[in-house]
Amino acid sequence: MTANALLRLSAWLILTAWSLAASADETLHFAAEPDAGSPRPLVIHAALDLPQARPLLEAFHRRHPRVDLTYRNLSTLALHERFLETPDAADVVLSSAMPWQYRLANDGHAQPLTSEAARAWPAWARWRHELFAFTFEPIVMVVHRDFTERFGELTSHGDLLEHLIAQPRALAGRVVTYDPVRSGAGYTYAIEESRLSPRYWDLIAALGGVEAQLVGTTGEMLEGLKTGRYLVGYNLLGSYARDEVAGHPDLTLVVPEDYALVTQRLAFIPRQAPHPETARLFLDYLIGEAGQRVIAEQTSLGAVHPALEGPGTARALRARLGDALRPIRLGPGLLATLDDLKREALLARWTREYRRWSLESGAPP
Amino acid sequence: MKRGDSLYRRLLAWLLVPLLALGGLMVVQAWLEARRTADRAFDRLLEAASLAIAEQVQWQDERLWLDLPPAALEMLATDAEERVFYSLVDREGRFITGNAELPGDTRRDDTGGDTLFYRNIDWQGLSLRLGVRRSRLEDWRQSEPFEIRVAHSREGRDALAGELLRANLAYILAMAALAVGVLLAAIRAALAPLTRLRRAIRARDPRTLAPLDLPLPRELAELRETLNELLARMRRVRANQERFIGDASHQLRTPLAGLSARAELALRQEDPARWHDALVAMQATSARTARLAMQLLSLTRLDNPEYQPEFSALDLNALARQMVREHWASCHRQGIDLGVECAATPVRVAGVEWQLEEALGNLIDNARRYGARCITVRTRATPPTLEVEDDGPGIPESRRMLVLRPFHRGQDGGEGSGLGLAIVDSIARTHGARLRLAAGRQAHGLHVTLTFPEEPS
Repeated sequence: MTANALLRLSAWLILTAWSLAASADETLHFAAEPDAGSPRPLVIHAALDLPQARPLLEAFHRRHPRVDLTYRNLSTLALHERFLETPDAADVVLSSAMPWQYRLANDGHAQPLTSEAARAWPAWARWRHELFAFTFEPIVMVVHRDFTERFGELTSHGDLLEHLIAQPRALAGRVVTYDPVRSGAGYTYAIEESRLSPRYWDLIAALGGVEAQLVGTTGEMLEGLKTGRYLVGYNLLGSYARDEVAGHPDLTLVVPEDYALVTQRLAFIPRQAPHPETARLFLDYLIGEAGQRVIAEQTSLGAVHPALEGPGTARALRARLGDALRPIRLGPGLLATLDDLKREALLARWTREYRRWSLESGAPP
Repeated sequence: MKRGDSLYRRLLAWLLVPLLALGGLMVVQAWLEARRTADRAFDRLLEAASLAIAEQVQWQDERLWLDLPPAALEMLATDAEERVFYSLVDREGRFITGNAELPGDTRRDDTGGDTLFYRNIDWQGLSLRLGVRRSRLEDWRQSEPFEIRVAHSREGRDALAGELLRANLAYILAMAALAVGVLLAAIRAALAPLTRLRRAIRARDPRTLAPLDLPLPRELAELRETLNELLARMRRVRANQERFIGDASHQLRTPLAGLSARAELALRQEDPARWHDALVAMQATSARTARLAMQLLSLTRLDNPEYQPEFSALDLNALARQMVREHWASCHRQGIDLGVECAATPVRVAGVEWQLEEALGNLIDNARRYGARCITVRTRATPPTLEVEDDGPGIPESRRMLVLRPFHRGQDGGEGSGLGLAIVDSIARTHGARLRLAAGRQAHGLHVTLTFPEEPS
């Protein structure tokens, strides 16, 4: 088997399970205003659901009515595959699959953007002026009211670990989290968390101790939490959970106080983009104050722009949680996430830890 | 003077061009050194990262196994956000894992142990620095060789090299500026005496011939001495001229005053016979004065250094015969024996006919005036020589040089103008001939010899 085929296979394995909401191939089209001058085509390929994308695109089209905008929402896997097949099809590629986006940029598939907005963009949220993180989405826990009533407040990973160890029977089967084997996002969080803290493995062991349910998407976790099947959901994507929790009085969204991973969506302009001018216009808007304001006010994605304050911005979240926020570092460490052997090694360890206490006496030390 | 031709420019060019070439060489050297240094520094990262990865390589499930440490990859990216590539390759060169199929070590396989190898590569349009670590898993039963290949793009290296070069460049430029400044000052200082000399010459009264007196370095002191010698010569020439003019005016004034006095005296008389006497005397005086004026003019003309006579081929024999014929009658009247002895063959010289006639005429005339009774004109073939010998009173040896000066007469109160021999001397010099005054036969009289150069030019 050649290396490339191997890489493809692993990408497929992980990416199939990434998508958070099972999204089919959805397309949005904004035709250019006929009286605004000659139309400028723009093709965006993204893994970002339409309810979140629509306000962003509408605002952009209002500002630039000449742009003939085609937005195609794909699953992260389809997006990646499609890009490798036809790297000259899209003008802008947006995706939440950080390691894959990083890898494409690392391999030289992106072209740099050196506009004023790009230069002003915080260094931690970009890579080489090629890759821009334009959202700020914490990984959260969602707690059902029954849990709070019976066991008290849950505010951190430490709390969760204590509760899991203290109430293994009461919580058996009532905790839900990502299955890192099936979900690319779950795997990415696992690898990042295992780097953040060695106690992560205790938490996995404790989760194994209460036979936590392992599912593939945030959506599934939210469904179970709403029906009361699960009392605690661990590692949900905050941007998706926020709206659901707001509409459901039994559920509370908890951003852990000790540490909270933050995932970001990455955008880049392919080197072979057919309409690079318009692509730059869009990316400029996306990381400019206007686009970021739309993200803050009309979506739950979280704006990164340092000038923006108030709800829905990274700044507000930082003010509340300070150093506990741990954005996934945009660097070559992400490449390790994609390493096949690394994946095998981590998943082996994860499974081993998950089964630690159930295989032994079934009781924590 | 041409603009390009200046000592200052010449010195500047000869010093600056090698200096700048040297500076350029230093810049190139600094650039190479900066690159080498940057590579050395950043190769450490490749070394550390490949080591960190190699340490995680294990033998598991009958194959190579790697739990890739993300930190090892983070290590390869500095602030310059380099692109990072890595791969693990087994003993057969098969790709085990990694994000790029990087080229391997081009060395032969027999170099054992844990070795590192760096190389610049061009990979899919990216310029990368590759580090290949050869290592092996040592087990009780087997030894499994493998290669860790890590690479990153050159941004960080280029930035560091640029920084080092800039620092070096600033140093080199400062040195160059200093060197050029010192050079300019040095050249200016070295050429300052020249300017001083020029100013001293320019500031002089154009009529003065006084020697230059200013302290100068050795090389220019020589020039100053040469200049002073020239000035001294000019001073002597001018002194001669002044004396000549003084003498000439004196010589001309005396007969003219005599003429005027004689005429005035005659006008007071009523007797025509006295008028006649006066006119005769005046005629003799004016003839003498005319001859004097003639001689003065020819001497002035001969002494003019700008004067370039046109020579023609002459036969001295013919010349001697001609002149003796001309003067024979007047000599005969005074009872003087004028004779000619010619060489057997024609004596050819290059010369100006009227000058040689003048010279010979003067010599015959001189001998006649100073009381010779017998004058012999003689020519010789080798070397071409013209001689005039007389039996007059002669000139004592101590005064023979003096008589060649204008207005110096052999005997005070003599009849001549004192210009004859001076004119002969001038003509001899014009022809490149040597004039020799000697005593005549039996130490008696004067023997004048004009020896012409052998080969007529």
